[in-house]
Amino acid sequence: MPIVELQHVRKAYDTKIAVADLSFTIEPGSMFGLLGPNGSGKTSSIRMMIGITVPDSGTVSLFNKPFSRDLLKRVGYLPEERGLYKKMKVMDQLIFLGQLRGLDATTASKRAHDWCDRLGITSSIDKKTEELSKGMQQKIQFISTLLHEPELIIMDEPFSGLDPVNAVLLMDTLIDLRKQGRTILFSTHRMDQVEKICDNICLIHNSHLVLSGSMREIKSRYPVNRVLLNFTGDDSFLNHPTIHSAKNYGGHVEILLNDGADAQALLADAVRTGTRITRFEVMEPTLEEIFIEKVTEGSTGIPAGEKVNA
Amino acid sequence: MHNIWLIAKREYLERIRTKAFLIATILIPLFMGVFVFGSGYLANRTKSSAHIAIVSTDASFSADLKQELQSGKNSGMRVDLLAPTSASDTDEIRANLDRNLHDNSGDLTGYLVVTSPSQSNARALFTYVPRSAGDISTEDTLSTAIQNVITREGLTHQGMGSTDIAALMAPVKIDTSKTGDSRAAFGAAYLLFFLMYMVIMLYGMNTARSIIEEKTSRVFEVMLSTIKPDEMLAGKILGVGAVGITQVGVWMLAAAILGSTSLATGLIGTGHSLISFTQIFFFVVYFIFGFLVYSSIAAALGAMTNSEQELQQLNMFLVIPLAFCFLMIFVIVHAPNSTLAQIVSLIPFCSPLLMNFRISLTTVPPWQIGLSFVLMSLTILAILWVASRIYRVGILMYGKKPNLPEILRWLKYS
Repeated sequence: MPIVELQHVRKAYDTKIAVADLSFTIEPGSMFGLLGPNGSGKTSSIRMMIGITVPDSGTVSLFNKPFSRDLLKRVGYLPEERGLYKKMKVMDQLIFLGQLRGLDATTASKRAHDWCDRLGITSSIDKKTEELSKGMQQKIQFISTLLHEPELIIMDEPFSGLDPVNAVLLMDTLIDLRKQGRTILFSTHRMDQVEKICDNICLIHNSHLVLSGSMREIKSRYPVNRVLLNFTGDDSFLNHPTIHSAKNYGGHVEILLNDGADAQALLADAVRTGTRITRFEVMEPTLEEIFIEKVTEGSTGIPAGEKVNA
Repeated sequence: MHNIWLIAKREYLERIRTKAFLIATILIPLFMGVFVFGSGYLANRTKSSAHIAIVSTDASFSADLKQELQSGKNSGMRVDLLAPTSASDTDEIRANLDRNLHDNSGDLTGYLVVTSPSQSNARALFTYVPRSAGDISTEDTLSTAIQNVITREGLTHQGMGSTDIAALMAPVKIDTSKTGDSRAAFGAAYLLFFLMYMVIMLYGMNTARSIIEEKTSRVFEVMLSTIKPDEMLAGKILGVGAVGITQVGVWMLAAAILGSTSLATGLIGTGHSLISFTQIFFFVVYFIFGFLVYSSIAAALGAMTNSEQELQQLNMFLVIPLAFCFLMIFVIVHAPNSTLAQIVSLIPFCSPLLMNFRISLTTVPPWQIGLSFVLMSLTILAILWVASRIYRVGILMYGKKPNLPEILRWLKYS
């Protein structure tokens, strides 16, 4: 039973097509990444999932039911453009937003205190929101999204504008939530950030779906033919027949192997010639590489007719 | 319903805690009171204290005029008498006085030249040369004083005794103690009119500002993921309106308390309270209607714009109907029950100001009051219908200000 299901969803604003024929499903308890560069239609898609806008055509289902506003009680949404009442005190604000999502004041206050404690902002709860730093405000907004313990958490660019420490803190929090069985959808244009935490992804570009499916399955479609290698000494092993191309940054080499070649043979050859190897990593292409490959091939890959009529 | 209540409650509490609310609650009636009563007081009580010179060969006339100007009812002027001995002397005196007038350190306000008539039964010629051309009040005082002196002289000439003349010339007193001082009643009605104008404008704009604030801080996107735009709009209008009612309530309570104390009677000088209970009641009712009409318009304006500056450009939609009401009060003051007064006070955009003003001044037939309520209610429903549609689409629009065809298209979105 999918938690979110989009079927052939399309949205246009006047002349600009924001989302063209987007379909995907999100399974319960998974971490879903909606990826794509800026302006590719991520926010437009998310807005249709939570009923801020209505698709021109296609259907949106939440919790296996056609979209209705009642279902939003089970959803937590963090918009891309953060917004809080500037003049309100942090705790008042959290309680107010909690109440709007159906909590009573006491429960909202208790949970808000717990969360502030967990994210380390307890000292600021009596301050006015406008007195806080942007990162702090983002944490408050993050908390407000989770107060009513939603089954589905939708976050639009949750890590943008955060320092690395806080970005990791929020990422760990999301991983914890997934462990508790919540379903999480987030969008980002930083593909390297999400590679390790997403179960499933959907890549969109220029309002079109480029790639979707489980992370593992997508990666397995691509050969494990990249080698990262750090060495000192003789570099003659770089002429080994298994190597298709290599970029040598002076001791750090990025190697692309020939199809079907075995990296093990390369390592053996390097060791035999007396080169000291300090790192040897065989890997599949990164999400970013896959995306770039897809998009460059996609400029011819997406049929012209689809752009007009989809 | 619960969501509307939450939104309204937040709006109310956040606004009522601000210093701006406290200041407005105290200062606005204070300013209005000072303005309305102060200007009336000044106009009535100030005596002209000008320093003028009278150039006349008629010694008894100029002495009488001096007496009138120095100790008359409305004037306490300083008067110099100059009696020229010949025509050339007159010219010399005038040249001297002119020098005084043109000199910045001179202390004369102006001088009056009385030229005796060539025929005995004709009137003398009066020439007044002021320091500043716009000094109407001295001129008016002079004209009245001269008129009085001439009348008195004429009556003496006819053989009337000075006591008879004094009795005849004494100002007429009209007794209005049965209905209260009509000037004070008019002042109070005027005060209420200004107050109504201020609060409707203030709270209408507050609604719009509050929407723009949510728009610029992007809070509404969080809100819209839980509640409907209509609920947000309703909660907002109710919340801001409740703040307005609180403020008006504080004012009216203060007015009622002040009006019943000896302070008010001491100030106005009659036993009638300044602002009646009926006036207070209708003020509150018409404020509610007026607020709903104008805040609904303001809500639509707020949703269409992105910033306060853009709102300023559009607020003529609020100002023009209110300014029209200002023009109409002159019609209503003179004839509160004329056909024109009846018609304009029934226009829903004007009723809150003009019907309420008429109620203060005269007895308005109940059916007209009822009709104004019905018309305003219908207008409010119509405006809210349009405003909620504009609001629904408008709050999600950033950047470019929409043009009229676009706004009309928004109305068709479901």
